[in-house]
Amino acid sequence: MPRKEKKTQSQTIEPVRVVQKRSLSRRFTLMNGLPDVGLVGVVAGSQIVSSLGMKEVGTVESELFPPLVVLHEGVPKSPIRIYGKGSLAVIIAETAIPAGVVYPLAEAIVNWASSTGADLILSIGGMAVQNRQDIESPKVFAALSDKKLSKLLNGAAEVLGEGYIVGAYALMLKRCAEIGLPAIALLTQSFYNYPDPEAAAAAVKSVNKILGLDVDTSELLRKGEEIRLRGKDVMKRTQTEMARINKSQEYDVPPLYG
Amino acid sequence: MIRERKKLNFADYLKRTEQITERMLTSGWNEASSTIEPLSDIILGATEVVVTMDLPYVDPNAVQVNVIADDIIEVQAKTKHKIRLNDLGVKHRKGEFTLYHSVLHMPVPVNEEGMTHKLKRGILEIHLPRQT
Repeated sequence: MPRKEKKTQSQTIEPVRVVQKRSLSRRFTLMNGLPDVGLVGVVAGSQIVSSLGMKEVGTVESELFPPLVVLHEGVPKSPIRIYGKGSLAVIIAETAIPAGVVYPLAEAIVNWASSTGADLILSIGGMAVQNRQDIESPKVFAALSDKKLSKLLNGAAEVLGEGYIVGAYALMLKRCAEIGLPAIALLTQSFYNYPDPEAAAAAVKSVNKILGLDVDTSELLRKGEEIRLRGKDVMKRTQTEMARINKSQEYDVPPLYG
Repeated sequence: MIRERKKLNFADYLKRTEQITERMLTSGWNEASSTIEPLSDIILGATEVVVTMDLPYVDPNAVQVNVIADDIIEVQAKTKHKIRLNDLGVKHRKGEFTLYHSVLHMPVPVNEEGMTHKLKRGILEIHLPRQT
């Protein structure tokens, strides 16, 4: 007779968990600033968090992440943190997301957002363009979970019609479309593997228009060199993970037409 | 000038692989030599190899590019001022840096003659004609 297996704790623990420590507004917008092309999301997210004086309200934890903490003013912090203020929450990652964690991370974030009252997920990222050096003002594009969301853009971004999106934001968009949670991925023209504060500034301007914020972007331009130097190491590790998930497929043209 | 391409033996191959792996895995702040390994990218074109490199705090006139072998280039770029780890908030290390330094292996042999480079938006772009 087969033995009845005991349900161990490890069988019930989700691979990626959102640990919320403080309450958020009953309805809120969740913004994602995960590291990918040009570190646009991380840089833009950090600027929004510091400019609005947002407080840490939670973390994202997983045994699948590298075993590390980030020290800030001597205090150990989780590398993926959630900040909140009013009706806005921002997730920022200070370490590259390992390729193997992308699926459970995207699922955990969407599940947590939908169960805690998020009415919009706004993901900030980059869109690599080869002639970035020649572009004075990077354009912002938007991929939507539902066509109707284009009215929310308020002229802040051009809707992406055709193309591939690869990574956590792609999975979040797909999952949100399935469950009817509004989601927008804002993708700004940027360098592929160099931190791009100018692109981040363009992304923040778009977020300002969409959410009616007034976050200053001049600091991103003034401190551009410092941001690029500080972001060098995370960018390098992110580049390795982007290669593992075939991020370069975003350059491809979809084969179907009509 | 056409140079003969050096054939790699297994030991050279291993050494090169180790160098590439080390460059991939280390953070690129070399305190012993006061140099920073910059982020870089190599694009292989039909007639040329294009190398780009992110060089914040570098004066456009302080960039030096040398082809040191058929398929190896060396880039040195002086920073406008000393970059201290301390200024970046790192207190437990005393690194001071004044130079970006990178040695890159090209995917195909290249010519030094006809090589051009420019620094725009802090990104160095080097064009190297492929050997025919």
